[in-house]
Amino acid sequence: MNDLLSAFDWRSFAVVRRNALVYLRNWRTAFIPPAMEPVIFFLAFGFGLAGYVESIAYQGQTIDYAAYIAPGLVAYTAFGTAYYEALYSAYVRMFYQKTWDGILATQVELQHLVWGEILWAACRGFMNATIVCLVLAGFSLAGLVELHLSMLPLLPFVGAFAGTAFAAFGLIFTAIVPGIDHMNYPVFLIGIPLGLLSNTYFPVASDHAVLQLLIELNPVYQLSESCRALLLGASPAPLLKLAAVTLLYLLIFTTLAIRLCRKRILG
Amino acid sequence: MNEPNEPTLLRARGLTKRYGTQTVVSELDLDCDAGRVLGLLGPNGAGKTTTLRMLYGFARPDAGSVEVLGQDFQQHRKELKRYLGVCTQDDTLDYDFSVRQNLRVYANYFRPAVPDVRGRVNELLETFGLGEYADASPRALSGGYVRRLLIARSIVHRPGLLFLDEPTTGLDPAARVEVWELVASLRAAGMGIILTTHYMDEAERLSDSLLVLQRGKAVARGQTSDVLGTLLGEHVLVMAESESQDIEAHLRTLGRRPSHVLGEMRLPLRAAQLAALSAAFPERRLTVRPPNLDDLFLALAEEGAEEGAEKSPEARMDGGP
Repeated sequence: MNDLLSAFDWRSFAVVRRNALVYLRNWRTAFIPPAMEPVIFFLAFGFGLAGYVESIAYQGQTIDYAAYIAPGLVAYTAFGTAYYEALYSAYVRMFYQKTWDGILATQVELQHLVWGEILWAACRGFMNATIVCLVLAGFSLAGLVELHLSMLPLLPFVGAFAGTAFAAFGLIFTAIVPGIDHMNYPVFLIGIPLGLLSNTYFPVASDHAVLQLLIELNPVYQLSESCRALLLGASPAPLLKLAAVTLLYLLIFTTLAIRLCRKRILG
Repeated sequence: MNEPNEPTLLRARGLTKRYGTQTVVSELDLDCDAGRVLGLLGPNGAGKTTTLRMLYGFARPDAGSVEVLGQDFQQHRKELKRYLGVCTQDDTLDYDFSVRQNLRVYANYFRPAVPDVRGRVNELLETFGLGEYADASPRALSGGYVRRLLIARSIVHRPGLLFLDEPTTGLDPAARVEVWELVASLRAAGMGIILTTHYMDEAERLSDSLLVLQRGKAVARGQTSDVLGTLLGEHVLVMAESESQDIEAHLRTLGRRPSHVLGEMRLPLRAAQLAALSAAFPERRLTVRPPNLDDLFLALAEEGAEEGAEKSPEARMDGGP
């Protein structure tokens, strides 16, 4: 329990502050290219592919494909940013830069370090999701896509909340992979399938109860559905499911990540 | 030394660490007082760094206790870590920041907060001769200056007790002397220091007392002369290998095996042992010198290399010719 309460300790925030300071020093390379990726994807899918798939059935309604993938892109951005930050960036800080070793020689303990990385990854997800939301707002105001703009400011917060669980999940792999090349496993075999089979770019559903349960247990799916509910004015029920799965996964993954990181770093 | 009512800065008792079935540190006791330097000495794998890591909380002992300022370290870990400075063997500088920022950001990892951080950072930059590089990346620094910055960073919060893990490894002689001077100045300022080192001259010059480790156990402790006397004896017989065959043959019958360094035979001896050897070879002129820590290190390393040896270093040294 103490490990979980460490999320609110000043030492966790000291780690976030350190990462934020580095980010501000390198913001041109750290912020603009990654934030542009979902924008390019939205242009490619929302306007390119939408030329062939004009509309799509969603919850008994027919909506524009651009309107369908807009919330999915926000969800995918929040997921991908937090997950990959916890995988690659945290690994570089831990293994190559030995930043963690330096920090652990202070009053900061390992659980604060892990929480600091989780919270920072969620902040990165928030920032990139904000950029996507601003672009969506521009397209919406230009009449190119129909969205409930009043709910748009909520999306980065929802994404950051879910991002904590994605980051904790990523840190589990950071703690166990032997080398950075092995990150290909959590990236290609886990991250990409999770991101695609989640109602982001296309609807995923199954008549089989077990398969449908697995789909609904995918937190990216719940995040995508929550963003869609907010932006398209649908039922807010997915938000409750998102809160439940996020808290459940955060509890499990963070406990595991702290334990595995402790084993790797402290022996 | 501390005043009678002043608690020892650090007191460890019965420290033990195991990795799997291997015991890497076994029932180790040690103390460090204010204004004193304790040197942990021993060959590779002796358990120096593991001991240090247990003392500053990086590794949890499997048995034993550590007290800092008379308080149990595990129970009051958060508060007591504020009192400790740690300079690890590895370069853990933050290369995303400048030299100055390394100090400033590090200060943020301590509470109560470091008063007047800006002033403290400027003071350290000046004291450690880093002012010229304050706004440069640590990548611009030479090895000696990197080590200076690491030590400066480890004391940015004004700790009372500093751990230095092999502070001069990889430095050229001039840089080593500069680090020695910094360590001496910290000791003079009243800081307690526990350091590990491979360098015999460093241990001799910097340490007020030594703790010699061999395979995780303390094999000698005290001032340098006491340690050498305990483990080696008062004399070291030195002889060219080409002239020493008969003496070596005699020593082998007594179970003694001298060290060989660059064509030279060396053998630590106690006064009585030297007298016995001299009596056995009355026609030979024996050259002896006082022992130094190099002799000790060689003896320990040789002992460690002898797999299956049953005798401890002390027992072997006491064997006598």
